[in-house]
Amino acid sequence: MINYQYDGTFPGFLSAVFEIWDRGRFPARIVPPEVAPGLFEETIEVKTADDRAGRVWKGIAKAGGKQLCQRLMHVFLSRESGVEDLMLFILRQLFDNKKNVAGDLSVEEVLRFTQMERKVLREVHRLYMFLRFEQTADGTWFAPVSPKYDVLPMTLNHFESRFSDQSWLIYDTVRKYGYYYDAKVVEEITIDNPAFDKETGSLPLEAQSADEQQWQQMWRSYFKHIAIKERANPRLQRQFMPKRFWKHLTEKR
Amino acid sequence: MDKIEKLKILASAAKYDVSCATSGSQRESTGGLGSAVSAGICHSFADDGRCISLLKVLFTNHCIYDCAYCANRRNNDIPRAAFTPEELVDITINFYRRNYIEGLFLSSGVMRNPDYTMARLTKVVKDLRLVHRFNGYIHLKAIPGADDALIREAGLYVDRMSVNIEIPSEENLKYLAPEKDYNSVLQPMHLINEAQQEYLPVRRNSKPAPKFVPAGQSTQLIIGATPDSDNQVLRLASNLYTENRLKRVYYSGYIHTNTSDSRLPALVAPPLKRENRLYQADWLMRFYEFRVDEIVDDTHPDLDLELDPKLAYALRHPEIFPVDIQKANLHTLLRVPGIGPKSARLILSARRYGNVSSYLLKKMGVVMKRARFFITCRELGGRKAPDYQPDHLRMMFLDKSARKLTPDTVQLKLF
Ligand code: SF4
Repeated sequence: MINYQYDGTFPGFLSAVFEIWDRGRFPARIVPPEVAPGLFEETIEVKTADDRAGRVWKGIAKAGGKQLCQRLMHVFLSRESGVEDLMLFILRQLFDNKKNVAGDLSVEEVLRFTQMERKVLREVHRLYMFLRFEQTADGTWFAPVSPKYDVLPMTLNHFESRFSDQSWLIYDTVRKYGYYYDAKVVEEITIDNPAFDKETGSLPLEAQSADEQQWQQMWRSYFKHIAIKERANPRLQRQFMPKRFWKHLTEKR
Repeated sequence: MDKIEKLKILASAAKYDVSCATSGSQRESTGGLGSAVSAGICHSFADDGRCISLLKVLFTNHCIYDCAYCANRRNNDIPRAAFTPEELVDITINFYRRNYIEGLFLSSGVMRNPDYTMARLTKVVKDLRLVHRFNGYIHLKAIPGADDALIREAGLYVDRMSVNIEIPSEENLKYLAPEKDYNSVLQPMHLINEAQQEYLPVRRNSKPAPKFVPAGQSTQLIIGATPDSDNQVLRLASNLYTENRLKRVYYSGYIHTNTSDSRLPALVAPPLKRENRLYQADWLMRFYEFRVDEIVDDTHPDLDLELDPKLAYALRHPEIFPVDIQKANLHTLLRVPGIGPKSARLILSARRYGNVSSYLLKKMGVVMKRARFFITCRELGGRKAPDYQPDHLRMMFLDKSARKLTPDTVQLKLF
């Protein structure tokens, strides 16, 4: 068994795939940087090479279709331990056995692959649900997020089409990067000295637009009055709206 | 009165309408604000655990009618308010821009007369769409008794329209709301259905054609305010689905607000369990290919509160079990307790590759604790399910919460 250790990036993973087939050596595993190699196992450190990654990417698209590419990307974003094994399994079937097994749920690995993809997509959907904008004094709309997986890039199309006429900034406070949209194009940004609260991402009062507090107060009041007291059910509320999102929610802050 | 105060009153007054769905409408962004996602998005969950997707408010809680079951009835002494169309548009847009909501769910008491009220509501949705180029989701209540032309006009700007029937039988409706009858509610429903059909062929043209209520219509029935049986309730729902092509029927457990009216039962708590069973039965009709008379009939007019209706059906029909996982068609698979529409389809696709084991069934999301009594698959043998004794199974599957409530278990705990 040879361990191919990559740098944790998606191109890095694809570079590892390239090397495995280049050397033609199985059994092989692809392991993330945080895994310590076993004492008697051979470990090869993979250098991330964009051209190699690009070739693998095209190869997958050609043999398995664009959809498979996308699905691999989604599952990769889960960063759950063992995803590399599942992805490698699917690629081996694709390249060596000329079979796209990604739809065959009677195969255990595929079932797990599908379940992981679902978790990632659920996190994307939860950003659609629980993201909250605050308007800043200069009119930009700001939203801090802290998703479990690194899925912010996957949400951009949604927010761009929905809020196409307002300039906004969505920032991942855990991974410390975000995207700024100026009502025309989206670009990736980082903020060196953030003015917002590091934990919750909320803006200090002086950075907010004049009527921001009034709208937040109205939303909280709406939130309170739309509930039916006779049917109070805090457990259900927490189940649908897990506590980890509360720090960003206007109505729960 | 300021906006905040009005919002407080008119949100509280709207909360008993349970509908929240925002699915079934896809509105591409057209350069203005907003888009509707066909799967629908919940943005928050209120303290009662219900999804908050739309800004759900009444335009006004003034009302010229006096329906016994309604908090806004003319004779109730409560604070009253009415938005101006501008205020409501402003709140909707500002909530939407902050990603609080998917859009607006606008209902209303009847102010002055139905036409006047309907015209005000129409002004709100028209301004949102035409002046503010708002592409979010809009669900509008049609006001019974309003002019057809008004309802038809509003239908061009909204995603969903609904008329609440509220009381599941006409005789009880007349008892509780003497000023109303079924015709006044059903007539706008027919109208919406008709207009929808008229606009359908137009939509096949390649150029963008106007859409009429693209997400369809829904209604709500209040449960437990009247002695109507589940049989009555579900038959009405089934008719609405087939005849008026409704997308959803909502069931709302009656909450005893108007305590001074002796025509209403003094319920201490809303009948949540019954409501839940009705939703389950409704699901069976919509996604499990059940006919209404397979769920309730004259001999079983009410749902078993302690057993979900699918299980109850299975226990009444031992002759169709056990079901062979390798061979059964979709319709039959859907009848197995523990198998849902998703897992049924997974089974169909997985068995093309070979035998489906019980391990795999579990992985697909089949609830084997239930299903195993009703199926045969590779290792669960071809035996004629000896465990299958309806009475015994019934005891086993009784809802845990229901069991807890029986005096027997209380006694067991004591001794
Ligand atoms: S018409 Fe509607 S708002 Fe008016 S009392 Fe009857 S149910 Fe309530």
